[in-house]
Amino acid sequence: MFEILKNKGRIEGIAKVTGKAKYSAEYALPNLAHGVIVGSTIPSGFITNINIEEAKQVPGVIDVLSYWNKPEVSTFDNPEKSKKIPAFHKYFHTTKINYSDQPVALVLADTLEDASYAATLLKIDYKTEDFNVNFHESLKDLELKPFKAERGNLEAWQNADYISENEYTIAMEVHNPMEMHATIAHWTAENKLSLYDKSQGVNGVQWNLGRFFDLPEENITVNSEFVGGGFGSGLMTWFNTVAASLGAKLIERPVKVGLTRPQMFTMVGYRPTSWQKVKIGANKDEKLLGVLHHAAHNQSKYNVYSRDLSGITSKVYAFENVKRFTGYSPLNLPIPTWMRGPGDSSGTFAVESAIDELCYKMNADPVDIRLNNIAPYSMDSGKPWSTHYLNECLERGAKEIGWDDRPNQPKQLKDGDWYTGYGVGVGLWNASRRNAGASIEMKRDGNIIVRTAMTDIGTGTGQAIVNMTHEFLGIPREKISIELGNSIHPKSVTQGGSWGLSSLSGAVDAASTALKRKLADYAWGKSEVTKLDAVILSDSGVAFINDQKKSVSYQDIFQKYNLNEIYVEEYSNAGGEEEKYAFCSSAAHFYKVKVNVVTGKVKMDRMVIVVDGGKIINPQAAANQIIGAAVGGVGMAMREKQEVDLASGRLIGSDFAGYHVTVNADVPIIEVSFINKPDYNRNPAGAKGLGEVGLLGSAPAITNAIYNAIGKRFTNLPVTPDMIV
Amino acid sequence: MKPFEFHRAINSDDVFKHISTTSKYIAGGTNLLDLMKKHIHEPNTIIDLNSALSNTIEQKNDGIFLGAMTTNTKVTENTIVNKNFPLVSKAILAGASPQIRNMATTSGNLLQRTRCPYFYDTNIPCNKRKSNSGCGALNGHQRMAGIVGTSQNCVAVHPSDFCVALAALDAEVFITKTDSTTEKIPFKDFHRLPENNPEKDNNLSDNAIITGVFIPNNNFGNTVSYVKIRERDSYAFALVSVAAALEIKDDKIKKVRLASGGVAHKPWRWFEAEKFLKNKKASRDNFIKAAELIVSKTKPLPNNTFKVTLLKGAVETALMQCLTNTSNG
Amino acid sequence: MSHSKNENTFSRRFFIKTSSAFTALALVPHSIKAFYNDIKETYFTKKVVLPIYLKINGKDYNLNADSRTTLLDLLRENLNLTGTKKGCDHGQCGACTVHINGQRALSCLSLAAMMQGKEITTIEGLANGDNLHPMQEAFLEHDGYQCGYCTPGQIMSAVACVNEGHTKSIEEIKEYMSGNICRCGAYNGITNAIKSVAK
Repeated sequence: MFEILKNKGRIEGIAKVTGKAKYSAEYALPNLAHGVIVGSTIPSGFITNINIEEAKQVPGVIDVLSYWNKPEVSTFDNPEKSKKIPAFHKYFHTTKINYSDQPVALVLADTLEDASYAATLLKIDYKTEDFNVNFHESLKDLELKPFKAERGNLEAWQNADYISENEYTIAMEVHNPMEMHATIAHWTAENKLSLYDKSQGVNGVQWNLGRFFDLPEENITVNSEFVGGGFGSGLMTWFNTVAASLGAKLIERPVKVGLTRPQMFTMVGYRPTSWQKVKIGANKDEKLLGVLHHAAHNQSKYNVYSRDLSGITSKVYAFENVKRFTGYSPLNLPIPTWMRGPGDSSGTFAVESAIDELCYKMNADPVDIRLNNIAPYSMDSGKPWSTHYLNECLERGAKEIGWDDRPNQPKQLKDGDWYTGYGVGVGLWNASRRNAGASIEMKRDGNIIVRTAMTDIGTGTGQAIVNMTHEFLGIPREKISIELGNSIHPKSVTQGGSWGLSSLSGAVDAASTALKRKLADYAWGKSEVTKLDAVILSDSGVAFINDQKKSVSYQDIFQKYNLNEIYVEEYSNAGGEEEKYAFCSSAAHFYKVKVNVVTGKVKMDRMVIVVDGGKIINPQAAANQIIGAAVGGVGMAMREKQEVDLASGRLIGSDFAGYHVTVNADVPIIEVSFINKPDYNRNPAGAKGLGEVGLLGSAPAITNAIYNAIGKRFTNLPVTPDMIV
Repeated sequence: MKPFEFHRAINSDDVFKHISTTSKYIAGGTNLLDLMKKHIHEPNTIIDLNSALSNTIEQKNDGIFLGAMTTNTKVTENTIVNKNFPLVSKAILAGASPQIRNMATTSGNLLQRTRCPYFYDTNIPCNKRKSNSGCGALNGHQRMAGIVGTSQNCVAVHPSDFCVALAALDAEVFITKTDSTTEKIPFKDFHRLPENNPEKDNNLSDNAIITGVFIPNNNFGNTVSYVKIRERDSYAFALVSVAAALEIKDDKIKKVRLASGGVAHKPWRWFEAEKFLKNKKASRDNFIKAAELIVSKTKPLPNNTFKVTLLKGAVETALMQCLTNTSNG
Repeated sequence: MSHSKNENTFSRRFFIKTSSAFTALALVPHSIKAFYNDIKETYFTKKVVLPIYLKINGKDYNLNADSRTTLLDLLRENLNLTGTKKGCDHGQCGACTVHINGQRALSCLSLAAMMQGKEITTIEGLANGDNLHPMQEAFLEHDGYQCGYCTPGQIMSAVACVNEGHTKSIEEIKEYMSGNICRCGAYNGITNAIKSVAK
């Protein structure tokens, strides 16, 4: 539980800056054993034998868990139930290998040192089979299928005044949150499993492990109170959680399994390598007419994740004609998954680049053409936007960056070997809302605790709960504390997809209303109060607006009814508004870059981002989240690329030395501002979600700025120094 | 890590007491522990040199002596180094992070091993890691591989920035052997090319230790620069780097040094380009010609031809920066 | 792990003797050498436990630790000082930054055995009781974090950055803080926090 904030910043801030915040691998359970996952060294084939003799001789080694000694789980006696377990939870129930570093064993020992050493002593025999890890080669045989119904007619714009067509590729990117995924599994009773797990959603883990072990959900508790980042890597329940649970069952001790950084590249998902071809057309009046979008990305042989990259193409602009084709190549590679702005960030790069290219052909201003072509309503659903201020984002951003200084042709601003350029890119994301729950407990002293199972992966959910509760109830922030990220609390949607705050605000509002109702009933008798809006809560009691005489202190209520606490629990979901409106958040990215044409260095000079995320609940944390996403955009555009060795099928240089994420020196102080207009159709807080739009549009704003600087169009990400010179 | 004995050598006599064919010395540990955790090195004995060898910087009549255990940070903060050998500080500060520079030592820097990703994955063949096992990089990803002096057995490069400056400044490596004899190795002869024995990075004989590095005085002053091209603006190994130093008198280049990192199995000196520039005017035209001469000597691999272009730009920029630095200095 | 001083009588001499014997192997005939090598292999796979004295956050510790234990694992796994974070375990991220004798260093690349007699400061030792260090206050004020996982390392590095005087400009702060990766990208807050303390 977070201490009540006596200080500045977020409610959990003190825990984070003092090192007291406990992440999943940091719980000191008695008799804890350490588990180290051993991955396959081949990308395809079968394990034929694992010799564990040498490993077992290492002092401290308890056992080695694998296909050959996995503990019995009743689920697997029942073919129907067994079938429902996904293949990537069954690695200890198969000898088949579909990618290199697929988990094949878990070495269990008293200490981490012993387990890590013994893990190197396993002698594993394989029967190898042919494999394919070459995405770009695989495209040759890949048949693309139509994606969604065609809008308008492809033929209608083939003779447009201006047409631009290009192919785009984006390298495999890996989430790599700073906290490496880890699980502590503890069977507290024969059929009761307690987990400390790095996850973006405890209820998902609870459900998955319940299914695996054929246990009711209430027998499984999951704690993810602090989560050291996710960006999507914690949306699925991965094998480390299953392995730790099986290991703990096997040796009848609590087991901690922590991934290594290289395992973070193979065991918890990544953004797959992608290819796109985009053709767009416009007429002389700068009206965008149509788009033809082909897209494909790699999958694993374990067909777990596919996501179309062209979903965004029909949303942002008023293309009357949209045709899309999509495809997925199953390869002998690890399992990809959602990563920040999944699908759309890739699609946005292609579309925003294509529009920029078209602008130079037409001699049009990239801001004007966007302003003039924003979809006036959701052209996917036909519904009106509830609120949508992308135009204001563009106008304000242009002003702040000094867009008027941008030359409309490249290579105009030169200082020695350095060229300066400006670029713009926009992002848009469905502002969705899902089912969430929250409870409020009031104590005798009027302090309240708000609880939810939702986690806070760093976005500031915790402080947002405090701010919203304060807003809804009027209780001072100092009297509000929170508990989250634990399955013992009211069930909530996984945090991700920019829906966290939006979903939770409904639950917090509902619980706040329920608390008011209860307090009003206690204070003045049941049904005496019909209009709850007139009821206000202070730090000491409940009262009517404009009628202080009617106020009743909490102390009197608790005494009169002999209460220890007052508890309410509520759940909330999107309602009828979904029928009426379409919802979105959006952002405009305006970047200024300096490019050295001799050394290939690209320096981010200024980054200005204006965001429509509805009402901003916690401005500082919201800006921080946008800044962080844009830092990721710099990574996507110019840093991040995970390579695959075609000969061995293994990832190459898969660590923080080989895979370059953005460092502090890579970015300037990033300038963020918000439109900050509430959307109360979406939820009671009026917030629309921010997680993705800080990234969407960021990468193309960079490549568009580079084009403006040096006149080179980059369609393959990341852009590295060698590509500049 | 494989279990090992640990000995803290307390004086120079102590350093050979515990050596064996499976022992390793440790100084900063920034590379060795990394490699031990990856099971690339599995020593049975670790000998800690920090208390046994010099960690002082001594000014001599003819140059400066950096004790083996001086940390990178200590070198960059030394006033004599910064006054007389600013190239050394510039190179060190272009590498690693402040934390690592606080730990990493002078001798350790010379002995750090390649960052070739194939060397780091024990499941992929690597002749440097295991003799005659093959080379994964030869037909693989070659961004971090060499463009000069590579062999059919190994295309790895030496990762140091510091060593590039030391190569440029004609440093000498001081060595003490098990029989107590000492030796000086010119820096250009210290590291090796891979040829048929890529498992050997340098010419340091078994169990000999580096006691320090000597850098002779020079007249380059501030007319030096270090240009490093990498895949992010800080905390990354070089794709290519160039150390340049010029001594200009009466508008002519009297002396010049050019060395590169990220291009070869050893810090690479460009002697022919140095010869070309000697007695020429310090002009951009001449610098470009020197850069062209340099790249004409390279033999890139199929997948890293881009490094040649980057190198050319880095040489040109480094030489131009020498002129700016001298006026600023 | 033991905290008692009495267990500090570890048989260092024994190890030295045996290892010297193995060093002398060069003089022994081949077959016997192989035999001894076998014994040596068996012997050396056993873990070596060493006595270590060090000071952490002002407190004396006399411990016995596996020779392989890094300072990072000593803190996290043995002493339950989990404020120091493991982000890569290979010196590539800075999450494990602590101060060793007042200088910032990576605890993941430091053997506990090499910390003999040294003074370590971790994030847990930065505040003075309930009074936060000015850098901790500044990180709160400037929201210099999101998920919080890299934060202890950032703060330890930031304190050192100010002490070293590498705060003359935003660019200098950014360069000297680039050994600490923040994947959430909270670089604005981190940089501004340091700037505010350095003033």
